[in-house]
Amino acid sequence: MQPTEVAGPFDDQDYLFEAWWPGTRAIASCERGVLRLQVAGLADAEAAFPELATLPSQLAEDATMLDGTLLILDADGRPDADLLRQRLAGLGRPGRPAYVASDLLWAGGQSVRLNAFHVRRAWLETILEPGDRATVGRGYRGDGTLLAEALASLGVDGLSARQLGARYRSGPAGDAWLRAPITPAEPRSRPTLALILRLPLGD
Amino acid sequence: MWRGAIQFGLVTIPVKLYLATESTSIGFNMLHADCLNRIQMKIYCPHHDAVVPRSDTVRGYEWSKGRYVVMTDAEMDAVPLKTVRAIEIEMFVDAKREAHEAQFVKQAYYLEPDPMGAKAFELLRQVLADQGKTAICKIVLKDREQLAALNPFDTTMLLTTLHWPDEVRSHTELNLPTAGITVKPAERAMAEQLIASMTGEFSPADYRDDYRAALMSVIEAKVGGEEPVPAQRVEPTKIGDLMAALEASVAAAREARRSAAAESAGDAAVTPSSDTADADQRPARRRRSA
Repeated sequence: MQPTEVAGPFDDQDYLFEAWWPGTRAIASCERGVLRLQVAGLADAEAAFPELATLPSQLAEDATMLDGTLLILDADGRPDADLLRQRLAGLGRPGRPAYVASDLLWAGGQSVRLNAFHVRRAWLETILEPGDRATVGRGYRGDGTLLAEALASLGVDGLSARQLGARYRSGPAGDAWLRAPITPAEPRSRPTLALILRLPLGD
Repeated sequence: MWRGAIQFGLVTIPVKLYLATESTSIGFNMLHADCLNRIQMKIYCPHHDAVVPRSDTVRGYEWSKGRYVVMTDAEMDAVPLKTVRAIEIEMFVDAKREAHEAQFVKQAYYLEPDPMGAKAFELLRQVLADQGKTAICKIVLKDREQLAALNPFDTTMLLTTLHWPDEVRSHTELNLPTAGITVKPAERAMAEQLIASMTGEFSPADYRDDYRAALMSVIEAKVGGEEPVPAQRVEPTKIGDLMAALEASVAAAREARRSAAAESAGDAAVTPSSDTADADQRPARRRRSA
């Protein structure tokens, strides 16, 4: 599922709004206690993020696949796009990796993609126990512009909006998943722009 | 302190040199753990199996493996050096970084003119500043001829000793990006944007040696008989902290809206047109396409 770009934040009770954290999208597959991470342009993501190997222990069901964002947190706990780039480029292991799950694709060995997003999301929250390294992201129903204001103050420059009634779609998401840009508050001590998404990563 | 003269052409300006920087690192002495007395370093000759007094030592230069030529003090003094007691200006160059190898600096010195050379000193300082020039010179310091750059610096001049070209290692053996790398215009624009967003004025006063301060506070505590406070171990940051920060930020944004709405309601009592203004500020209800 690939998000559709929209002009800016909006309010709509049919959508769940979340932060578009400055990280990289990652599909996490967990089977028999083993994690596999799919990150665009990175062949061996588990080797780059060995700290996340314990993620399966936070899951209540085996044979599960999550859709989410991989972040590197700096010493202050803020997501740091530069540190993430260093990791992806194989330049050491700075910072602390974290995984923010947003959607559930498989659970207990079965695909849940045909369920509406609000069902998948509720399911995700029951099977992923929040931990130090992985959690379900905070979602806000309807209040896109309010969340955008809060994110701007945190220096985050994107808003994710997922349609509560939509199935998981392969390819372009259409209205099911939208990305709205946010203008972060000034001054920005560190640009947390989604460089990760716009600059080439592994190539 | 070094005393000598700047020389170029027929001009001689008597000056003194003062170190422009000082080391603030904390020094330790080596003590015997049992008695806490200072350890003495003895000069030892393995051939005679004996401790040798410093006066019985000579300078030796290893010209091939295990073979030395001895240089006496008299021979050292007899080495012809043109730049003894002089800062001899060889040439003037544009004061651009690329114009010389000033990035390979050793030590910086402030210059102070003798009263009789004050006018010529100020003249040279002003002309270097106005014309954007650096004087490249030679000077003998600590028995060694050194290459140096002379630059105007506030109301004085700064002499910066430089490494000789043969002391500077070549960088060509490093694994550096080559011409094979192509950069797309969009990538370059993004990199330029990133650099621009982090561009500012460098203010040295904003930086300090935190390690030295922390070490000094431990030493002072021990001198005062207190138990040093161990450094606070930073708890590893967690993803839950980030979510908590987000929730706090959302709560703050919600509160700000509530306050704005309350103010707006107050204004409505006295401003008939405030309904329209409120409607304009209401958030969009519909999604707009990009």
